Amino acid sequence: MSKLSKFALFLIALFACSNSLPILAQENNIAKADRDGMIKQQPARLLFADSLLTKEADAIDNVITLSDDNNESYTFSEGQLGEDEDFAGSTAMVSSNDDYFLSEVGYLFSPMRFRIRAYNAQYNNVYANGVLLNDVERGQFSYGMIGGLNEATRNKEGATNLEHNSFGFSTIGGANNINMRASQYAAGHKASLVGCNRNYLARAMYTYSTGLMQNGWAFTTSASYRWANEGVIEGTFYNSFAFYLAAEKKINDSHSISISAWGSPTERAQQGAATEEAYWLAGSHYYNPNWGYQNGEKRNARVVNSFEPSIILTWDYQINDKMKLTTSLFGKHSMYSTTALGWNGNAADPRPNYYQNLPSAAYDVWDLSYTPTEDEIADFMTRYDFWTSNKANRQLNWDYMYFANSQSNAAGGDCLYYVERRHNDKLTFNLGSTLNIDYNRHNKGTFGINLGTTKGMHYKTMADLMGAERYIDIDKFSVGDFGLNSSYIQNDVDNPNRQIKEGDIFGYNYDINVNKANLFYNHLYSKGIFNLYFGGNIEGTTMERYGKMRNGRAAEYSKGSSGIGKFLGGGGKVGIFLPINAYNTITIGGSIENRAPLAYNSFIAPRMRNDFVQGLTNENIYNAEVSYKLTAGPVMAKVTGYYTRFTDQVEQNAFYNDQQSQFTYLTMTGVNKRHCGIEAAVVYSITSSLSVNAVAAVGDAQYTNNANGFLISENEKVIMNDDVYLKGVKVDGTPLTALSLGVDYNIKGWYLSANVNYYDNIYIDASSYARLSSVVGKPVIDATTGEERLEIPDQYKGKGGFMVDASIGKSISLRGGKKLNINLSLNNLLNNQNMITGGYEQNRDDNKSDGSERIYKFSKNPYLYYANAFNAYLNVGFRF
Amino acid sequence: MKALKYLSLLAMLLITATSCMNEFDAPEFENPPYGNNEIGEANTTIAELKTKFSKSIEGNSCEEIKEEIVIEGVVVANDESGNVYKQFILNDSTGAIIIGVNDVGLYATMAIGQKVRIDCKGLHVGGYGKMAQIGGLYNGSIGRMNKSVFPKHVRIIGTPDRTQPEMTPEVIDESYFTDENMKSLAKFVRLENVKFVEATDSTVKWAPEELAYNNVVERNIKMGKKNIVFRMSTYADFANDALPMGELNINGVLTRYNNYWQFVLSSTNDIEQVENNN
Repeated sequence: MSKLSKFALFLIALFACSNSLPILAQENNIAKADRDGMIKQQPARLLFADSLLTKEADAIDNVITLSDDNNESYTFSEGQLGEDEDFAGSTAMVSSNDDYFLSEVGYLFSPMRFRIRAYNAQYNNVYANGVLLNDVERGQFSYGMIGGLNEATRNKEGATNLEHNSFGFSTIGGANNINMRASQYAAGHKASLVGCNRNYLARAMYTYSTGLMQNGWAFTTSASYRWANEGVIEGTFYNSFAFYLAAEKKINDSHSISISAWGSPTERAQQGAATEEAYWLAGSHYYNPNWGYQNGEKRNARVVNSFEPSIILTWDYQINDKMKLTTSLFGKHSMYSTTALGWNGNAADPRPNYYQNLPSAAYDVWDLSYTPTEDEIADFMTRYDFWTSNKANRQLNWDYMYFANSQSNAAGGDCLYYVERRHNDKLTFNLGSTLNIDYNRHNKGTFGINLGTTKGMHYKTMADLMGAERYIDIDKFSVGDFGLNSSYIQNDVDNPNRQIKEGDIFGYNYDINVNKANLFYNHLYSKGIFNLYFGGNIEGTTMERYGKMRNGRAAEYSKGSSGIGKFLGGGGKVGIFLPINAYNTITIGGSIENRAPLAYNSFIAPRMRNDFVQGLTNENIYNAEVSYKLTAGPVMAKVTGYYTRFTDQVEQNAFYNDQQSQFTYLTMTGVNKRHCGIEAAVVYSITSSLSVNAVAAVGDAQYTNNANGFLISENEKVIMNDDVYLKGVKVDGTPLTALSLGVDYNIKGWYLSANVNYYDNIYIDASSYARLSSVVGKPVIDATTGEERLEIPDQYKGKGGFMVDASIGKSISLRGGKKLNINLSLNNLLNNQNMITGGYEQNRDDNKSDGSERIYKFSKNPYLYYANAFNAYLNVGFRF
Repeated sequence: MKALKYLSLLAMLLITATSCMNEFDAPEFENPPYGNNEIGEANTTIAELKTKFSKSIEGNSCEEIKEEIVIEGVVVANDESGNVYKQFILNDSTGAIIIGVNDVGLYATMAIGQKVRIDCKGLHVGGYGKMAQIGGLYNGSIGRMNKSVFPKHVRIIGTPDRTQPEMTPEVIDESYFTDENMKSLAKFVRLENVKFVEATDSTVKWAPEELAYNNVVERNIKMGKKNIVFRMSTYADFANDALPMGELNINGVLTRYNNYWQFVLSSTNDIEQVENNN
């Protein structure tokens, strides 16, 4: 017992430390005293430029640590369970039982949101009990669906694109199958507590399973709660409960039925990206513009509410020794919404980091040849002082917004500020059935079918009128263009000038209906250690937009059905495993796929219109790869080279276009991309308890042509075709270079590990608007070469840098088969606060609509997200 | 049965967990959360202020107000409809003055009928086209004050009230348009039985883009020999609504640009059609 109580003290101390970390993490990386000194002595512009330069130097010099979340390679990493669907592509993960690279990178590089081969998450299929769970509109699996259910989703298998599997069809990003059956869990209780300084601060989890009992029944249940009144990012909170309930009945040796239900009702506040200037003013790369004070309390404007209750019914039928049929029916009602501040009429943009509020909107700080006037410097300093003198000044001012609404009530005016809730709900039913056949000693095959239907419901509701008495459902941007009496300004022509109360649907309301049918076959021929794998699939997709509101700007084609778009696709793949000898194996493989576009990208301006994108076609994916694997005594190594080509992709961006004062959609078709690179992993076991490992992913992923753009504004004042200069733009939101060197040591139940990771070639989402031919303009004569060239903006690239992680754990066996596990992970030990994980360029123009230059330069001010500062994660698990 | 016990426990947990949500009460204000509630009683009328700084105003120059001057008035024109931009007009019993602030959506706190005090010390006053304005320094001339400066100099008094005496414009006729009166602008006035020169048919709009120069379309009213220019912004919410025809009564603020009479129309709510009984 004394051993235990010592541990308890140790843990309490650590937990106390970890809770004080948010303060450390948010300390200024520009010493405040230095800053004050500089203000007095230097012209304002130099101050800003200096700090940017200093940061660039820091980014290279600093070495940082990262750590993975835990040592369990078969659970989803925390990065994924953190529900990162807010970001363009959440970390895609494939696990493979015998591929060290794939089993490591998923969590090793997760602090930098690394995506394998920079593939979009839609190319990673996630199944449960053989039925596909990926969202049909955006293609990705929503990790929020299983948030907090680490224990319940522990049992899973994975396969790469070119590996045989018995549960489904893997695309280029591979596939996973989570086993949700109640009998798959070891009998007994498991409880764990986590303390950390991340999105949440504490997690409690409990799992109980009966195991498969003598009467043929098995029951398993798991529940968890994750909580933070304020997470590591200021102004965020986290409140998430999760449950998993499963029952299984083994009827006889042939039949087994299981039912599992789970869900994870979650409410959490979001972090927002900001520009480098705003980070500089706030003195931290973790400045969060989304919150502000209301009655002295911190309130966040961007709150996600998600709950995706899911149920899966599975029938396992062992037909005979050679044949097994697995059939699952899956149902899900996903409720996902995010809130956002709205401002009505001619009210000012209330966001604290709105560009007009920034010092660099006082004069052009980027043109070093320009000498600002005294007035301009004074204006700059007034803005600077406002930002830096009081924290509340750089956050939202809720009290002000409430006050404005109450004054407007008294004046008989409309609501000025409100909070809207944007809903993306889904009702999904999927049926998956796979028949596995062992033909003979050398051949086995898997036939499968997946049928799915999804109704996606997209609308917004009034979440909070903030005391205002009247809000009318019209489009404020169209009022000036068409006049107050025009039907064009009505969001719902059939209910003109409708007054909106809290909870009412307004703005837009439409469904996206998608049906999919997929037939596939996997075959494995194996003789000795020689393997030949091939597979193929055929997939049919239908999609439709169904408008529930008649929008005034598209009165004839917004309500009712868009008609049904039909797409037939399919693909084939082959992988050959050639053993040269017992130590050396070469794998060669390739795949071709013709794939339906995502419904998310298939409709133009779907908030108001029923139109399909012009020239909408299937995309093509060509993939080839070669691997070499060495297993020689203590050394295990694998190197893979891959080349993937995408053609005829469709993408869509939506943004506010201030040239037109309109919400605008830019659709791109005929998009081609190339992803290629090398993946390598080496593990060298020096002794049975000490090993060193190295992992490398060095790749390139870029657009290889200029796309056909179609631009349309919500008021239809702009409808035009235009080229988009995308050629050479890199795929964003993941480091294209990620390297790791690590050491693992375990002795007497202790296990220690440390990794030094290096990341580079991190790009942010390039603005397609800024690359429109009409925005780029005519070619200019290059001063040095004398040749004509287009002034296409350079894509913003983050600086490379190091991060270091370490973890220490201990496993203690107690009497009666009980077991205590303690693990502490320390991430980003060197506290590198200068690594971006991604971001986006602003879709706004440096010129005004009359062609004159703006003072503020959108092109120089991308929005950036930074990887977390030093953080710790302590997990104590007890099995009894 | 053991399993059932755990299941029911879990169900209870679910119910309790989903019921706790973050709610915020609407703030209640003893004092306005915007502006400077320390600003004391007015000690100067708007007319006195204009007289005091008439040299700068008439000279199209600008000076900093260094004395303790507090004025009080009621907002009679603002940017709510988008025709007025980055300014509002304050009126007391002696006259009106333009206040320039480098911000949009000023009407959020400067609603029509709102009584406010302005602590002028530290602000600038001057003339733009000889029109008096309080604001900030811009390249040596009078411009708008920085948006973060404004709340330090303004105090909001009560809630907007359109029944206050300052909200009643003075009805003027053509005899008003004298050089002497021009010097004391701005003035909150009412023009009665007037017609827009351009309102020849119902297809004429207030400020269509195709007629605009620098996003402004000029509309004119003649009162006797005097021409009054309405500078209408293409950004106004009503820019593409029809220019009203027939005889009208119009409330608004008379201003000047050097020797031209101009009229600031804050909103089309300030226009009423004269009933024609003929």
